[in-house]
Order: sequence, then C-alpha cells, then structure tokens
Amino acid sequence: MEYLLTRLDDRILSLNKVKKKALVAYLVAGDPSLDSTLELMHGFVNAGVDILEVGVPFTDPIAEGPIIQAAHDRALKNNTSLSDIFKLVEKFREKDTKTPIILMGYMNTFLANSQALQKAHTSGTDAVLIVDLPGEIDLEELGIKNKNLASISLIAPTTSEERISQICNKSSGFIYYVTLRGVTGSSHLDISEAEENINYIKLQTLLPVFAGFGIKTPDDAFNLSKISDGIVIGSSLVEMIHQQSSKKEFKKIYNYLHEISEAINR
Amino acid sequence: MDNLTDLPNSDGFFGDYGGKFVPETLMHALKELDETYAKLKNNPKFIEEIDQDLVQFVGRPSPLYFAKRLTDHYSGPQIWLKREDLNHTGAHKINNTVGQILLAKAMGKKRIIAETGAGQHGVATATVAARLGLECHIYMGAADVKRQSLNVYRIKLLGAQVHAVDSGTATLKDALNEAMRDWVTNIEDTYYIIGSVTGPHPYPMIVRDFNAIVGRELRKQSKEQFKQYPHAIVACVGGGSNAMGIFYPFLEESNVALIGVEAAGSGLMSGKHAAPLNDGEPGILHGAKSYLMQDKNGQVVDTHSISAGLDYPGVGPEHSNLKDSGRAKYIAVDDEEVLSSFHLVTKLEGIMPALETAHAFAALEHIAKNYKSNQHLVINVSGRGDKDINTVATMDGISLD
Ligand SMILES: Cc1ncc(COP(=O)(O)O)c(C=O)c1O
Repeated sequence: MEYLLTRLDDRILSLNKVKKKALVAYLVAGDPSLDSTLELMHGFVNAGVDILEVGVPFTDPIAEGPIIQAAHDRALKNNTSLSDIFKLVEKFREKDTKTPIILMGYMNTFLANSQALQKAHTSGTDAVLIVDLPGEIDLEELGIKNKNLASISLIAPTTSEERISQICNKSSGFIYYVTLRGVTGSSHLDISEAEENINYIKLQTLLPVFAGFGIKTPDDAFNLSKISDGIVIGSSLVEMIHQQSSKKEFKKIYNYLHEISEAINR
Repeated sequence: MDNLTDLPNSDGFFGDYGGKFVPETLMHALKELDETYAKLKNNPKFIEEIDQDLVQFVGRPSPLYFAKRLTDHYSGPQIWLKREDLNHTGAHKINNTVGQILLAKAMGKKRIIAETGAGQHGVATATVAARLGLECHIYMGAADVKRQSLNVYRIKLLGAQVHAVDSGTATLKDALNEAMRDWVTNIEDTYYIIGSVTGPHPYPMIVRDFNAIVGRELRKQSKEQFKQYPHAIVACVGGGSNAMGIFYPFLEESNVALIGVEAAGSGLMSGKHAAPLNDGEPGILHGAKSYLMQDKNGQVVDTHSISAGLDYPGVGPEHSNLKDSGRAKYIAVDDEEVLSSFHLVTKLEGIMPALETAHAFAALEHIAKNYKSNQHLVINVSGRGDKDINTVATMDGISLD
C-alpha cells in the first residue's frame, strides 16, 4: 500500500540518529477511564516513552493473556468505542504533537469503523497494529484505504522464512517481533531464539525491529534491547494501572518506565 | 455463480467469507495443517482408515428412517430422519473427530485440545483421544459446564481434563477464545480439533469434508428408499457442521431445497437469540469473516439459546456464502417452539432429539405446509437428547432430585 511518512517515521529516524533504543508502551484506552488514559499517556512520555501503543478494547481478544483481557472488559464496561479513542488522540495532540500513536486491536472493531479509519490520521493517529490481520493482507483489500496510516505487522517465532520476507516487503514503520509462543503477559521468554530470529529479520529489511510480549523487569528489557532496536512493554503496565485505578497514583508506574528506559539505553 | 462445491479457494474464502484472521503465531500451524490435509485426503490408505473407523467405531452408515406419525401429524411432505443420533457418542460430532485425530497423528502431535458448547464435541474429542492414548484438554464455558453437567462428567470419565472458562459470556465463544490461547501457547506439540465449520482456513473445509459422509449416505439412501433425492433437507445451525455435512453433497442439486435453522432464543425481536444469519452483519470472529452478532462498534454481543450447542454469535463462513448466493435458506425458531417440538417428536416417534436438533424439527411448524404428500423432506437428527434432560425438566418446572 502506498504510504506517506508519519510522525512514527520521524521518531524512528531521530532515535536512530542518536543511537537510542525505542521504548514503546501499551495501555488500554478507557481502563480505568478515558480521562486517566489521557493523563497516563502524557505521563508515559514524560517518563521516557518514545512511542505509545493504545489498545482498542474488543470483546474477544484471542491474543491476550488474563491481565489485558480483564482490562479490555473494564474498558468495554465503560463503553469505550473506537470513535471515543479518536477523540482521546485528538485531545492528546493538543499538548503533544510529536509522540507517535499506534492503535492496537482486533480486525472486527476496525472493520466496523472503516469509514472513521480512512480519516484516522486527522485525529493524530499514526499507525494501526491489528493482531488478527495477517501481515500479507493489505487493509486496502478490506476496504480501508488511508495512505497516512502505517500498518504494523507482527512476526512470530513460528513465522516461516518465506512469510518473513513477504511481511517485510509489505511493512512500514517498524517490525514487531513477538518474543514468545503465547499470549500477552506470558513468561516463556527465550532470548537466544529471539536473537537468532531478529538477526534473520534484519537481513530482510531496513526497518527497525522491536521486540515485545513477556517483558516484565528492567533486566528483561535490557537483555532484549541488546538484540533489537526497541522494546514494547504491555501487561506489566496494564497490571500496575489497574492496581492504582482507585487511588490514581501513577508515580510508581512512571518510575518503573523511567527505570526501563534507562535499562535499554545502558 | 461459482461452482459452490469447489470452494473454498486456496486462500480459504467462500466468496467474501472465510480466510485466516489469526495472530501470526498460528499462521504456520494452519499452513502445516492445510498441507497435511491436502496430501492425505486423497491417499487411499488414509481414506481406508477413516472408512473403517466410521463403520466399526462410529457405527455408520446411520439409518434413514421414515417418521410415519410425524408425517401424519403435519399432513405435509413425507418426513424422513437421518439418524446421526445413533452414532457412537450420540451425535454427528464424532464424524469430524475420528477424521481430525488421524490428521493429528499424521502430524505427530501429542496433545489434543478442543472447545465445546453442548459437550457433544468435547465427548467426541475425548473419545478419540482416549482411543489413541493422547493427552486431551477440553475448554467449556462455565455456564455450559452447569447446563451440560452430564457431558462434563462423560468427558472426565474418558480421561480428559475439562477447563471451565469464566471470561466474557462464559459460553461457547469464550471456550473458543481460550482454546485458541492454549494453541498459541502450545503450538509445537498441540493439535486443535475445532468442533464446527468455523475458525480459520482450513478448518471450515476439513470439518465439512469429514461430516459430508452424512450427505453422501443420504444421496444413496434416498435413491434406494424413495427413488429420488429429497425435495428439502433441514438441519439446525450453530457453527453449522451438521448442516454443512448434509448440505454439501447436494449443493449442485438445485432441485433440493436446503434449509438451515438457527436459534431465535427468546425471539428474533427480543435481541436475545443466536441467529447471526437471520439478524447479524458480516464481521470477523475466531479467524474467519462471516455473519456475526455484533453492535455498531464491532463488539460481539451476548447470545441466548436454550441449547448450549447453538449459543454462539458466529456461524461457519460457507453458510454465509450459501445465504448470500441464495442456495440455502436460513430461518429461526425460538426456545418455546423448540421445547414443544422436543416433546412432540419424543411422543410421536419414540426419538428424543437433542435440543439443538429440536430446532430442525420445530421448523416443520413453519415449512411443512409448503410441501405435498408426494414430496420428501429429510431432517438431520444431529444428536440425541439424553444430555438435555435436566434442562428440559427445569423448563417444564420439574425437579429430578
Ligand atoms: C446434537 C448437536 N447438534 C448440533 C450442534 C450444533 O453444531 P453444528 O451447527 O456445528 O452442527 C451441536 C453442538 O454442540 C450438537 O451437539
């Protein structure tokens, strides 16, 4: 799909220039509320996050472990819809025009909102990551045409060499390498397998390769950052957000992100 | 119109529907399965092994039985019953599991997982896993564990582990979610036996092909027993495997009407039902594009049916294509109609149908009048009703304790 450069590419270029690894942070929009999500997004950026990945809640998130599933359920209890999330991004952009935003979710919610997606970039959204959209299928084939919107694809430990080159050819932004066989939040991280696979992917593409799924501690983050261009952190943040949801004292979370950010650029 | 029998295409699409919308981790396993199946399905030894199991283990062919008193009752067509309820384990589900377990064996998988709603597919899977001595895990919605307790116990007796799923609506769709998560996690050694013509390609095709023995037998039996093909074939539709199995060998026989019956639950108008082909919109769930019960934001909505095996917001993609092409018609009957039909068939024919199957019988109230006494209508009796006795008693206000 033809595609114009976005904030995401700008951010990746500037990280590259100073040889910094990217820190990508995930949270679910509307958990515990859209107002908190907005506060957390700004807080994440201040704590050193380079790219925001905003989860779009879905009733049947088959790639998620229990922590993120529960967050999707809570967000849906608050009736969080994709159009609410576009408004959230617009609000975020009032104060931050630089940090790239990726919406991560499932095909059915995007398909139901395909009209809105065609102008998603006007809200300040830069990319989508659709977990159940195979990397070789263009959004355009499904009737969603938007050359201002990057589509991020996943590559897994089980992806064949043939598929890796297919996916690399179609991708923009970065490649998201799933570090384990499992759902989000599992703990089967295998660093040496990840290293071998990421090295192989990097022979196929000039795009940066980020690693995600299963990263919990600053040590995990450090180890993975040595073999990739950036890391994605999700379940542990979602869990901390939930623990703080009544008191809304997010400082602990920001400290944690700060530690991770230091670890990956150590 | 495409030749319907030649579908799906190589990408797994039946017209607009189907495909493989799954997390990347599963893509390789689906390809492996597709290749294994393509290699084996025409292999004479593989066919012989399945045929032998179907005869000696399942008890096929299942009879085609003339339902005289039901025919008299409706004074419409001659009503015939394709007796899948007489199969080993009591439903059509075993046709699929005896086939898929051989694929699992050919692929060297040691661990079997499955989802189940009514528990019939869970029983059928645990049965074939027991026979081959394979570890087996069955995912079942917590609500279904309660209403199908008899089958839960059968599954345990067969040596499989039952995992009650609490998330979401705690029914069949959530059991499927959880089975998919297990599969993503244990992809190397695990074979997922999907229980209906749902899920990502190649499952809708494989499950259909293994159930198509029902329609192939019917082609032969109808010619032998009433000298022609039926004028109409009626089957209940949850995911749609028993319907697809009996419809498929007749897709090119345009004089044979194909009628699928969905669960209208508390009524189509009430919104509390499980009838995506009657009252849904195309969407993507569990790896395939198909009609789906969803709200305007693309969230899957809660379903309701008296029958656990039909209580599912989606439907197999091939049915969506048959609906759009007009080759099959889909109607829906509500819980009350189903319950009275259950009693009617039990009393008139001495056959106690599963509540899923009772949906197909209940359709007679609406359609029998459209046929003349020299026409033949076949109902696919997908399963027997023993598992539903508790539900029926509760509905009738009777305590069994
Ligand atoms: C007896 C019986 N009939 C029908 C069904 C519905 O499944 P399908 O639509 O795939 O035939 C079930 C599912 O559990 C069943 O047990």
